[in-house]
Amino acid sequence: MNAPTLELAARASTVRLTDLRKRYRVGDDWAEALKGVSLTAAAGEMVALTGPSGSGKSTLLNLAGLIDTQDAGTREIAGRPVDGLDDAALTSLRREQVGFIFQGFNLVPVMNVADNVEYPLLLLGRAPAERRRKVAEILERTGLTGLAGRLPDALSGGQRQRVAIARALVKSPSLVIADEPTANLDSHTAQQIVDLLRELSHERGAAVVVATHDERMSAHCDRVLRLADGELVDAHGAPTGPAEEKQAKSELIAPHPLTPAPGRGRPTGSLSSTVTRDSATGTSSVKGERQ
Amino acid sequence: MKWILFAWKNVMRNKRRSLTAMLITAMGTAAVLIGGGFALFTYESLEEMTARDSGHVVLAAARGFDNDEDVPLQHGLSGAAALATHYATLPGVRAVAPRIQFSGLISNGDKSAVFIGSGVDPALDFRLRGPQLGFVAGEAPGPSDAVPEVAIGDELAKLMKAKVGGSLTLLATTTEGNLNAVDVIVRGIVRTGVPDIDRRLVMTDIRAVQRLLLTDKVGSLAIYLKDTAQTAAMAAQVKATHPELAVRTWGDLAVFYQAVRALYNRIFGILGLIMVVIVAFAMSNTLGMAVVERTREIGTLRAIGTQPGEVVRNFVLEGVAIGAAGAAIGMLAAGATTLALLFAGLEMPPPPGRSAGYPLLLAFSAPLYLGATLVVVALAAAAAWLVSRRAAHKPITEALAHV
Repeated sequence: MNAPTLELAARASTVRLTDLRKRYRVGDDWAEALKGVSLTAAAGEMVALTGPSGSGKSTLLNLAGLIDTQDAGTREIAGRPVDGLDDAALTSLRREQVGFIFQGFNLVPVMNVADNVEYPLLLLGRAPAERRRKVAEILERTGLTGLAGRLPDALSGGQRQRVAIARALVKSPSLVIADEPTANLDSHTAQQIVDLLRELSHERGAAVVVATHDERMSAHCDRVLRLADGELVDAHGAPTGPAEEKQAKSELIAPHPLTPAPGRGRPTGSLSSTVTRDSATGTSSVKGERQ
Repeated sequence: MKWILFAWKNVMRNKRRSLTAMLITAMGTAAVLIGGGFALFTYESLEEMTARDSGHVVLAAARGFDNDEDVPLQHGLSGAAALATHYATLPGVRAVAPRIQFSGLISNGDKSAVFIGSGVDPALDFRLRGPQLGFVAGEAPGPSDAVPEVAIGDELAKLMKAKVGGSLTLLATTTEGNLNAVDVIVRGIVRTGVPDIDRRLVMTDIRAVQRLLLTDKVGSLAIYLKDTAQTAAMAAQVKATHPELAVRTWGDLAVFYQAVRALYNRIFGILGLIMVVIVAFAMSNTLGMAVVERTREIGTLRAIGTQPGEVVRNFVLEGVAIGAAGAAIGMLAAGATTLALLFAGLEMPPPPGRSAGYPLLLAFSAPLYLGATLVVVALAAAAAWLVSRRAAHKPITEALAHV
């Protein structure tokens, strides 16, 4: 394997989740949503989380996006440990480093397209001139320039999701969390959204973690991780066993045409990731490699 | 500015509900302003009436206000002319009027009645008292160089069957404790609007009263000021200059004014409190529903980096927008009502103990309008803060899952 190994942990714009555990109270019992899951994603990398409903995708996404807290494990965003930070600090971190794309778009209905996209910059206290410039730029990149003054209600589903992508990426975050971004879209629009998300995240150096049931979406991601019953599983759906400590390669995706070429500071070549099970701790983790 | 615009757009999100809250707020504001305007007009009228009657600052000898004299003017004020001259020349003083309050019997030869008299400077006093002393017939009495002239209350005139130009006799106890009498000519018949006073009132030249009572003292000196607001300062100045004198302000002597003010303060205070509760409920309801409906949106805003305090601030701005708009509408309504009443010429019925009504007018007070607006806006902000605080701190995952 001569291709450079991605130094995921060392890069500033990465997310590193280690041995995350989370359980919820269900009546008198506890349901384990995550049973020690680890995940690392690098700048410009797009990681898909797949699995059936209740497998822990959303919980993992919430933890990665810093909108929920785990019972055990550690998290780092952009090289910074985040556990132990209070709500205000986590909110500030999300404001600076994390973009969100929701299945239902979640745009503010009273704000027009430009205002929705401008909102994160407003929170960051950017000067009006800078805000205008960045909004114009991302609207152009997302093909929304002509729709800047429209309210979300006057947009199609695909256009709304473009606005959501623009809103998530306008501040050039380190991490983008996308929850089923193509679920409410037709096939053609979904393809466009996937391409746009991939293109912009690569361009802006953002790691994207996307939960999806949509195979079209996962087929275009750099890595696909499968979750089942709160654990990472191999391509065949079996949890990696502690005894054999086997390395289960997740589905290998062919290099995407939009993956930046060498020399531009972007990852090159095809990506693979491995799911490893630590027999000592009983946890599974994922590492990406470029081949 | 962006945040204010954002707040206003959110206010307009549910126009009917926001408009209802604004109208309730407007009605509350208008009710407080109209009630307050009426109370203020009443206070101002009573203040003017009292100050015109008694003077703004009243001086007397040391025990002149004690009402425990053995004989008339036992505690009268000597050297009043010099004092009057001194104070009349001070800046801000409109006039200084000597007064003697006395009482006795008035007779038309056939029958007698008790009178309560007031010895005044005729040239000065009737002018100072202004329109509150309405002449039913005749005119103000002149100086008493020859036969003293009097103005009497209309009820007393009826009792005495007196007409302008007719003759009556005043009988009073002198400062030496003897009885003395003087014939007077009725020059005018007046009405104060208080039947109890109009049944007893006799006003005449103070020099005639001094001759009747066999004294050169006066009961008091009334200092009339150009500006009522200077009353306390003038009273303090008099006390400092003449510490041997007793000093009262019009407010000290205005028992009726104080009673009405206390009553109205209570009535309109309760009205204001009711309005505050109504506005608070309206605002809480409107904004509370908005918060519930937008829980998912709050979750979204929190997820993308909005601090809970910023979420609350946005709702507070919405509350302030509704409150300010409502207050503005309320102020316009109250202002329009004030103007309409000015031209309508409506009369209030006579209050208890009075024979004449008074004009139904509202006072315009900038501090009242400003105060009411600030209270309404603060109330709206507080209601918004209260209802949005919990939602802003709700776990984001719960807020995002809200349906």
